[in-house]
Amino acid sequence: MATLNEKKTCSERMENFRRFVWNPETKLFMGRTLINWVWISLYYLAFYVVMSGIFALSIYSLMRTVNPYEPDYQDQLKSPGVTLRPDVYGHRGLQIYYNASDNKTWEGLVTMLQTFLTEYSPAAQHLNINCTSNTYFIQNTFDGPNNTKLSCKFTSDMLQNCSGIIDPTFGFPEGKPCFIVKMNRIIKFYPGNGTAPRVDCTYVGDESRPLEVEYYPVNGTFNLHYFPYYGKKAQPTYSNPLVAVKFLNITKNVEVKIVCKIIGAGITFDNIHDPYEGKVEFKLKIED
Amino acid sequence: FLSFGIQDDHRLSTSQLEEKYGTSIDKGLSSTRAAEILARDGPNALTPPKATPEIVKFLKQMVGGFSILLWIGAVFSWISFGIQLAQGAESAFDNLYLGVVLAVVVILTGIFAYYQEAKSTNIMASFSKMIPQQALVIRDAEKKEMPADQLVVGDIVEIKGGDRIPADIRLIAAQGCKVDNSSLTGESEPQSRSCDFTHENPLETRNIAFYSTTCVEGTATGIVINTGDRTIIGRIASLASGVGNEKTPIAIEIEHFVYLVAGVAISIGVLFFIISVSMRYKILDSIIFLIGIIVANVPEGLLATVTVSLSLTAKRMAKKNCLVKNLEAVETLGSTSIICSDKTGTLTQNRMTVAHLWFDNQIYSADTSEDQTTQPFDQSSPSWTALSKIVTLCNRAEFRPGQENLPIMKRVVVGDASETALLKFAEVVLGDVMNIRARNKKVAEIPFNSTNKFQLSIHETDDPNDKRFLLVMKGAPERILERCSTIMINGKEEPLDSEKAEAFQTAYMELGGLGERVLGFCHLYLPENDFPDTYTFDTDSMNFPTSNLCFVGLLSMIDPPRSTVPDAVSKCRSAGIKVIMVTGDHPITAKAIAKSVGIISATSETVEDIAKRLNIPVEQVNRQEATAAVVNGMELKDMSLQELDEILCNHSEIVFARTSPQQKLIIVEGCQRQGAVVAVTGDGVNDSPALKKADIGIAMGIAGSDAAKNAADMVLLDDNFASIVTGVEEGRLIFDNLKKTIAYTLTKNIAELCPFLIYIIASIPMPIGTITILFIDLGTDIIPSVALAYEKAESDIMNRRPRNKKKDRLVNEQLAIYSYLQIGIMQSVGAFVTYFTVYAEQGFLPSTLLGVRVDWENNAINDFEDSYGQQWTKYQRTYLQWTGYTAFFVSITIQQVLYLTGSWWDKNMYY
Repeated sequence: MATLNEKKTCSERMENFRRFVWNPETKLFMGRTLINWVWISLYYLAFYVVMSGIFALSIYSLMRTVNPYEPDYQDQLKSPGVTLRPDVYGHRGLQIYYNASDNKTWEGLVTMLQTFLTEYSPAAQHLNINCTSNTYFIQNTFDGPNNTKLSCKFTSDMLQNCSGIIDPTFGFPEGKPCFIVKMNRIIKFYPGNGTAPRVDCTYVGDESRPLEVEYYPVNGTFNLHYFPYYGKKAQPTYSNPLVAVKFLNITKNVEVKIVCKIIGAGITFDNIHDPYEGKVEFKLKIED
Repeated sequence: FLSFGIQDDHRLSTSQLEEKYGTSIDKGLSSTRAAEILARDGPNALTPPKATPEIVKFLKQMVGGFSILLWIGAVFSWISFGIQLAQGAESAFDNLYLGVVLAVVVILTGIFAYYQEAKSTNIMASFSKMIPQQALVIRDAEKKEMPADQLVVGDIVEIKGGDRIPADIRLIAAQGCKVDNSSLTGESEPQSRSCDFTHENPLETRNIAFYSTTCVEGTATGIVINTGDRTIIGRIASLASGVGNEKTPIAIEIEHFVYLVAGVAISIGVLFFIISVSMRYKILDSIIFLIGIIVANVPEGLLATVTVSLSLTAKRMAKKNCLVKNLEAVETLGSTSIICSDKTGTLTQNRMTVAHLWFDNQIYSADTSEDQTTQPFDQSSPSWTALSKIVTLCNRAEFRPGQENLPIMKRVVVGDASETALLKFAEVVLGDVMNIRARNKKVAEIPFNSTNKFQLSIHETDDPNDKRFLLVMKGAPERILERCSTIMINGKEEPLDSEKAEAFQTAYMELGGLGERVLGFCHLYLPENDFPDTYTFDTDSMNFPTSNLCFVGLLSMIDPPRSTVPDAVSKCRSAGIKVIMVTGDHPITAKAIAKSVGIISATSETVEDIAKRLNIPVEQVNRQEATAAVVNGMELKDMSLQELDEILCNHSEIVFARTSPQQKLIIVEGCQRQGAVVAVTGDGVNDSPALKKADIGIAMGIAGSDAAKNAADMVLLDDNFASIVTGVEEGRLIFDNLKKTIAYTLTKNIAELCPFLIYIIASIPMPIGTITILFIDLGTDIIPSVALAYEKAESDIMNRRPRNKKKDRLVNEQLAIYSYLQIGIMQSVGAFVTYFTVYAEQGFLPSTLLGVRVDWENNAINDFEDSYGQQWTKYQRTYLQWTGYTAFFVSITIQQVLYLTGSWWDKNMYY
């Protein structure tokens, strides 16, 4: 096998490159004449315009074909996620640490709750109706204004001791803090199969150890008249029902691990991959 | 040219030799002494060329090509894993796995490539290990057969006709011994060997026979004076192995391709690294993007695909008798623009055959094809009867017994080449020659010798009523004619007047002009009165007439071209390949063969032909007019390189005759100076430098010496030129198919790359994951791209010019632009539409997705709202993202399959 390429010096390479960029003899710019470049640019311009057009058309027809009220598939949202307020995340999930005697450590948490509850003020909820029945609020017609469906009112005062109205500090300085548990919205999801789902908080791993909890509203239930959810377009003013939990006997200066599950038919909390499906787990440490 | 300081053994007398080597001519060495010397000198075998250690080959595969890029990716992954682990992030292990996967990919493809290479080398290794040679040695005063590699200096060996000389040997006794030194010196005539010291130069002297040459006839006894690598052949072999192997054209092309893709990968990677850093992404995230971009850009499976394609072709070629030693040489043959072909054995059948007859003042042609069974010329003339009798009787060649069932042309004959040709010719035309000879008993014989240049024998006739003896004679035509006074025309003896002598001369010149070896035949019925059947013929005193004979006819012989060659040469022609004949043979013969196979086409003329036609001196001929040239080795010696270049440039049809091995090398270099990719065929040891020098060396499998096979890149198992054409076709096909493979492979790169770019710029959820990309590259795409290696050739494949290695690249601008900017973009658009559809159907409309990345990937947001107001936890989103990966993956895969099977294959896109 014989050698095929002769070694070129660096200056020769540079010279070759310069010739490539502009060759004065053949009047080639980067290997093409200028007019050739114009044509090729026009070609690609046209090509990409057409491609963009096709893309736009595809997206447009997609938008025209999707149902505006509910998604076509819900196979990935079988069971609702659960979130906690206040939510402070460490490296391994929710970690709520504060010092009861140092108000700087818990003021942030309290503000978080207050901000969260502003959406549940009577003023914010004035468009929603008062519901009293304890069954699913099924609406097959659009009875609300502007061709929408009605939503039930949930105001912060329903959380009683944890509403921030009676105790604006939510019990943090006393070491009996309030937490708010919220269940994620899923369109046309009927939780509990006729019985209202409820929140149940325990210590992780040691469920026999008594954890004294007060639930608001009573029993920690989500009333069935908040379900099903009909989607943003049908229920623009819908707000999730909440359950507040107040821990009464947290040992001080010890990190405790607590899990709040939602008990109810159709809500699973045993997905090992998803720590927030049907339950919320958090660490709590209150110092003096 | 071999001025090695060889010892002066050829000058020593027998007793001096015995003393020097401590041996005895009658008894040989003792076994114990031989064992000692064997332990000292090592076995009598050539050391194979130094092989690269296996581990080095293996490691080369691990870092070659794209592997280095992937290693960088893997290392980056591990670094970011380390950093994330130190920071205590949850998803750190993803990067560890990615790094491991990348490393595994590199190692697996490396192992695969190594395995493929090892497999093809093994074919060769098994090939070179042919049947071990045996030698007849005298040891402990006994004759023994033993493997030739056990021979030691001082051994006494006996050789007979047909043997290969087992070592360098100083002859001490010889009977009619001739050796074929062609593999060593290129001389085609057998050289006679005796025990006389005839020349100072050990290479020229007659009393030394060299290792690996063949003893053609006779017997000899000699002392081994050199073994193994110390033999002359061994020294040439080690010389040839000093010539380094350069890169093959396809290796250069692939390197070019790797540079191109690596360049694109690195520039896009670095560009987006900078962009992402300036968009305030974290450095760590930017590094991960960089890895993704590299992985998307590198066609991980391609090198394995190329290897598979090449080895598939190599296998196919092996079936067609082209054994490829080096996988990449498969393609080299396809880009060949000049073939320097040997004549004997490659273009011709390598056996003398009767081609023409002249009797009754007329030239008849004989069939010279490989499997002649009948001869169609007119056999009714009584002159032919007479001529055939002489041909049959005045011939010492015989068939080896026990071959009655073989076709005549395949039978083994004892005797020299011309006699063999005559014997086979007679056997075909007349039938059982041995029987005819038995019926015409031979009573006296003078064998051919170089002084009287004729052969004569006297026979009884098979006609019981005819008691006369028949004297038959054959030899050089002019010598035979001198001895004749009459000539046979249509069975009648007529006086040989000047007119008839003129006719003879014309015929003789014509046949000689065809490059054929002409023999004259004459006979004489001895008068019964002077030579009664009791007469004793004495060949020494020649007590019988040897003049005033009756001239019967001429027969001319040639080593005829193989019947497949003219077709193959014309195929080469139309494929734009120049075929140059380089031979050690006589210019006239060379030219005749060149004409008959079409290397010199029927209409073209050499300078000499034009001069002859116009009747002007050669100097006055316009050299531009001559398309053909026959260059003699002697002329070549006095030529400057410019003159040679001029010849190679100006003439399209060239024959080099009477060339020496060095000149062969000069010719190859000359062709390469023209920018040609040169293929060289050769069989002898002396060809090995030229075979190495050539871009592709082709050795002959049957006639070729080991040294030639070692130096070559390809071995023609059937020694047939036509196989080269097959090889050219396969080589071109694989180049075309590799182009298609690469176009196919590059296409999806854009569709793999775009997700990263859009992800960084538009902050959408990740459309496709790095490992998914690896799945496409190494999983779903491997088999379709290998399938492209099976693509049939375009019909014009052998009508194109060979590719210009400087301009026609494997991956050219058009191919890259077509793949990247057209089909690639189309695939990306298709894949993105799928992606957006999947997300929309699940609740995330395209408008929601833009700019969502930071929240989407935030572990602390577990109530992420979609376009319909539903809320998603992090895991639910991630799961949806994986569904998106799958959609993107399936979309690319389907589009690739469509691309593959689609009818929009426009071959012209690639050329």
